Amino acid sequence: MTDRRTFMRGALGVGVAGAVLAGAPSGRATATPAPVADPVVAFHGAHQAGITTPQQRNATLVAFDVLAADRRELTGLVRTLTERARFLTSGGTPPEVGIGAPPTDSGVLGPTVPADGLTVTVGVGASLFDGRYGLADRKPAGLTPMRDFPNDHLDEARCHGDLSLQLCADNRDTVSHALRDIAKHTRGGMQVRWRIDGFVSPPRPSGTPRNLMGFKDGTSNLDVSDSALMDQLVWLPEGGSYQVIRIIRILAEFWDRVSILEQENMIGRRRDTGAPLDGDHELDVPNFAADPVGTSIPLTSHIRRANPRVPQTDGSRILRRPYNYDLGVDSVGDLDMGLVFVCYQRDLAAQFEAVQTRLADEPLVDYIQPVGGGYFLVLPGVRDVDDYFGQTLVG
Amino acid sequence: MTRPAWPSAARRALLAAIVLLPLAGCTSDPAPDASPSTAEVAPPAAESVMGIARSVCGTSWTGHGGDRTFLVKNTDTVTTDVELVDPGNGAVYAEVESLAPGTTRSLRVRLGHGAYALRCLPEGVNMLTGPTVRITDGPQDGTPAVLPVDDQDLTGAVGRYRKGVTAGLAVLSDDVAVLRRALHHGDRADARTAWLTAHLGYERLGAAYGTFDEFADRIDGLPDSLPGGVHDKDFSGFYRIEYGLWHGESPSSLAPVGDRLASDVAKLRHDFPEQRTDPMDLPLRAHEILEDTLQSQLTAAADQGSGTGLATAEANLDGTQAVLDAIAPVMRSRYAGWDQVGVWMGRARRLLKDARRPGGGWTPVASLKTIDRRRLDGTIGALLEELAPIAAIGETRRTS
Repeated sequence: MTDRRTFMRGALGVGVAGAVLAGAPSGRATATPAPVADPVVAFHGAHQAGITTPQQRNATLVAFDVLAADRRELTGLVRTLTERARFLTSGGTPPEVGIGAPPTDSGVLGPTVPADGLTVTVGVGASLFDGRYGLADRKPAGLTPMRDFPNDHLDEARCHGDLSLQLCADNRDTVSHALRDIAKHTRGGMQVRWRIDGFVSPPRPSGTPRNLMGFKDGTSNLDVSDSALMDQLVWLPEGGSYQVIRIIRILAEFWDRVSILEQENMIGRRRDTGAPLDGDHELDVPNFAADPVGTSIPLTSHIRRANPRVPQTDGSRILRRPYNYDLGVDSVGDLDMGLVFVCYQRDLAAQFEAVQTRLADEPLVDYIQPVGGGYFLVLPGVRDVDDYFGQTLVG
Repeated sequence: MTRPAWPSAARRALLAAIVLLPLAGCTSDPAPDASPSTAEVAPPAAESVMGIARSVCGTSWTGHGGDRTFLVKNTDTVTTDVELVDPGNGAVYAEVESLAPGTTRSLRVRLGHGAYALRCLPEGVNMLTGPTVRITDGPQDGTPAVLPVDDQDLTGAVGRYRKGVTAGLAVLSDDVAVLRRALHHGDRADARTAWLTAHLGYERLGAAYGTFDEFADRIDGLPDSLPGGVHDKDFSGFYRIEYGLWHGESPSSLAPVGDRLASDVAKLRHDFPEQRTDPMDLPLRAHEILEDTLQSQLTAAADQGSGTGLATAEANLDGTQAVLDAIAPVMRSRYAGWDQVGVWMGRARRLLKDARRPGGGWTPVASLKTIDRRRLDGTIGALLEELAPIAAIGETRRTS
């Protein structure tokens, strides 16, 4: 069970702080249809939203370099970040500034900002714990910089960062508005280092959404409603979690020139149904034990390497939250698309890195190229209106 | 160390609540001059429409503090501005500009404790102030009121600014003469040094977005918009000379460009006393000079080979400072973030100073360490956020 829930709220409903939010003026005789219920994901809680929250359709992952001059400014920065996240995820009407300033809000979402299921998930990277802010002695032992794995093609400009922001919402404009708002209000305190936008496809035609290799991705993900499992594999005792972001390019044209048999053997599942190669349906559980030499599901297949389903590897399971990305074209005119692989876990070394190590040199590596990303410690949730991101860390 | 700029008080977001005005009746005070229009009767709901006309500036209204939306309707035949003011000093809380006849617009404000009145400024007619309403409940502080700035307020600022530009043009004229001689003489090193001095002298004048009219393009135009780019026959001025001096063209071959530059500067100097400076331009320029720096210099887009974009950025800071000095008497009392501007100006200046090479040369923007470049971009960005309200406050408004 998760202590966070999504609830539906009409545009005229009551927000978290109890303030009345007004969309259209009430009582006006009008032919416009009643406002559609605005989904709100609770902002306050022991854990941040955006991890076990059902995956919204659109996401932006951004890493920042923190520019704050000292610890006090860093505290100001995370407080501002908290205020913005609280407002944006709750929705409401931006305050009127009068004639003395440009509007505080871009207006992209209209005069009243809908929550639109927005979640803002904030993490900090290992580099924040260098000498700049006197945090070196507070660096969690498990927080390391992202490793350069054997098959990686990392571009330093798209790696690491002092702070990560995962913005997810049902609509693209909401995500875009949130990033613009946060960047405006934190200008001078942090500067974007890299950014990647992603989307979740609708089920095609059913079941788990597909990635841009055409395969269902995330079929055997952890059950977020199992709170004991979440405590065992995802949540840290203080309420945070470790976040891995990997920007993984898919060499789409090359992949499309590979026979279906070879594709399916590399993944270990059927492309059409998502069923494991030893099953009929997507949710059939592969029985690796019954196939010790890999006659139906090759030993080198992705699903077998990633999760061998033996007791020794049970603890290395991760909570995946992947997004597809589609960025444009490269220098030879090939499409630049792939997967923004995001996952959450309690222990980077024992979980993500263990999985990644098992995947080293899998046949699939010829068709995918990890080009960027980073490791971040997602801070504990903001508990109430007086709390702020990282209070126990910087306070 | 002063506190950081984020969050500045004006930007702090609050969960706002819109409370609509309770029903308000029609005006009980018909106009003596029998204006053809009357105040609109409010609809039978919790929402009221304020009728605005030459003779009537809103109905009397009552209510409570907090977030409010007034609906104002122009029932007259002339366009009018409507302001919500503090009747004591005329400071403006909120406004609707250019309300056309027959149209209704909303005026949003958070009412704090204090005195409020609607003020109508119909075109060609004296302003008219409606009844005073005192708010004693709800939040203590509402939307801040700002004393309006009129052309008169900026007269002194324009004078100070123009005096500075006039002096700067004299220096520029001398520096361009040195450059011209160096080009004719044919010594590349001398020409490069003279070019930088003269170019920075121009950039220090704080020209941006239309200052100096067509002279700006002739003196400091970039090749981007020319069909032939850097090889276009119309590419002239400082950037043309820079391109040549750093792309192997002989200084003497650039002498005609130098002659033309000297002539353009002389014409500008001659014409400047006759060019009018719109008072509103000064508050606008407070952020526009550096908006241009961010777009053209910190991206290196304007660099024609010298790699002196950071020197230009520093000169643009000087130009911005000159504008700020000129408008300080008007702005200091009106803008709560004025001191923050100084803090970020100081930070930007320090970063540019640190980027200077020990020998006095400049690091090209693209050669800065990534983090240093990001810090500079972020700092100029933060400074721009602090400068932007100056343009809003300095938008001139009628005060009679």
